[in-house]
Amino acid sequence: MEFNDGYPSYELMAQHDEDHGKNVRKVIWKVFWILLGVTLVELLVGFKAESWALSKIFLQIFFISLTIVKAAYIVLSFMHLGDEVKALKWVVLGPFLVLIIYLILLLDLSEGNFSKIDRYPVDKNVSGAVHHSPEAKH
Amino acid sequence: MSSHAAATQVKPHWGGGGVSPMGASYGKLFMWFFLVSDAFTFSGLLASYGFMRHKYTDIWPNPGHVFHHFPFYEGSIPLAYVGLMTFILIMSSVTMVLAVEAGHRNKKKEVEKWMLLTILGGLMFVGSQAWEWYNFIVGTPEGAVRNILVDGVWKDTVVHGANLKYNEYGLPVFGDFFFFITGFHGFHVFSGVVINFIIYLNVVKGTYEKRGHYEMVEKVGLYWHFVDLVWVFVFTFFYLL
Repeated sequence: MEFNDGYPSYELMAQHDEDHGKNVRKVIWKVFWILLGVTLVELLVGFKAESWALSKIFLQIFFISLTIVKAAYIVLSFMHLGDEVKALKWVVLGPFLVLIIYLILLLDLSEGNFSKIDRYPVDKNVSGAVHHSPEAKH
Repeated sequence: MSSHAAATQVKPHWGGGGVSPMGASYGKLFMWFFLVSDAFTFSGLLASYGFMRHKYTDIWPNPGHVFHHFPFYEGSIPLAYVGLMTFILIMSSVTMVLAVEAGHRNKKKEVEKWMLLTILGGLMFVGSQAWEWYNFIVGTPEGAVRNILVDGVWKDTVVHGANLKYNEYGLPVFGDFFFFITGFHGFHVFSGVVINFIIYLNVVKGTYEKRGHYEMVEKVGLYWHFVDLVWVFVFTFFYLL
């Protein structure tokens, strides 16, 4: 008797055999080692950032680019977006391209500086805010 | 050559004849759309976090000084514990993608094994996050002096740890963002574990074996990788920078 649970059936192009599966698993573990390696490098640099006296802007560019590398491996390889058609890639990634441009142009290059203005005297002395005494600073 | 005639011959099916757009099933497409919108929620949270951090950049607490605890170790090692949490989550992402791969070969036993390991990884991560929260909430024995509201009067008081009102390590907004963003992410992990468990039960019951494909494992896998992806960003912006 044919099993039917009302679930629509699709072309299952994703099915593969044992030999192909071996290759797929090889790629999975390769990506795992890359992700682990990048994370360890990040931790090492984060751990040593103070003693190596690395500049803030260097750390920002360094960490954010490594994060994007990791994100790309997760999305394209683990989530198989790399195997999807071009249109789906654009649908998923396109909005974030716009967002990244927005964040860089508006928040970082122009609007962000306005945040430095204390609009209200309470800004730095709101409930429980830091006392500007040496013992309160870490 | 009338297109109308051709259209009427197609079997009536929700969404138009069983052919889904962009070569992916509807289930997967909608999971992708959900993840895109969810990613925007997290982007909004992280952007506002970055904004406040930029505003108070000179008095922002150094995360390495706040999160330096490690289980069964009295000293302080900055970033080690969060590094371990990251490793656990990446590992569970790997077991998830291995479950998807086993599903493509219709190997029920292997899918079961990898799904179970993924669930374990997820539970370990949620547990680790609870421990991280615990240390942040309890704080140091010395504490710090903060001007807080006690019985309706603003008073300089020694406080320990952090909550939504005050924060021994610095600005209260640091704690607010920490609790909200890692809490929101932790809730995603928790729901991911629950969904993974439901799918795992279906795998054990043999639902997908009878159906002939393990696409549900693939969909829940998409969600699980997304949780890992968000953590990659939270890890960078909260702990490293």
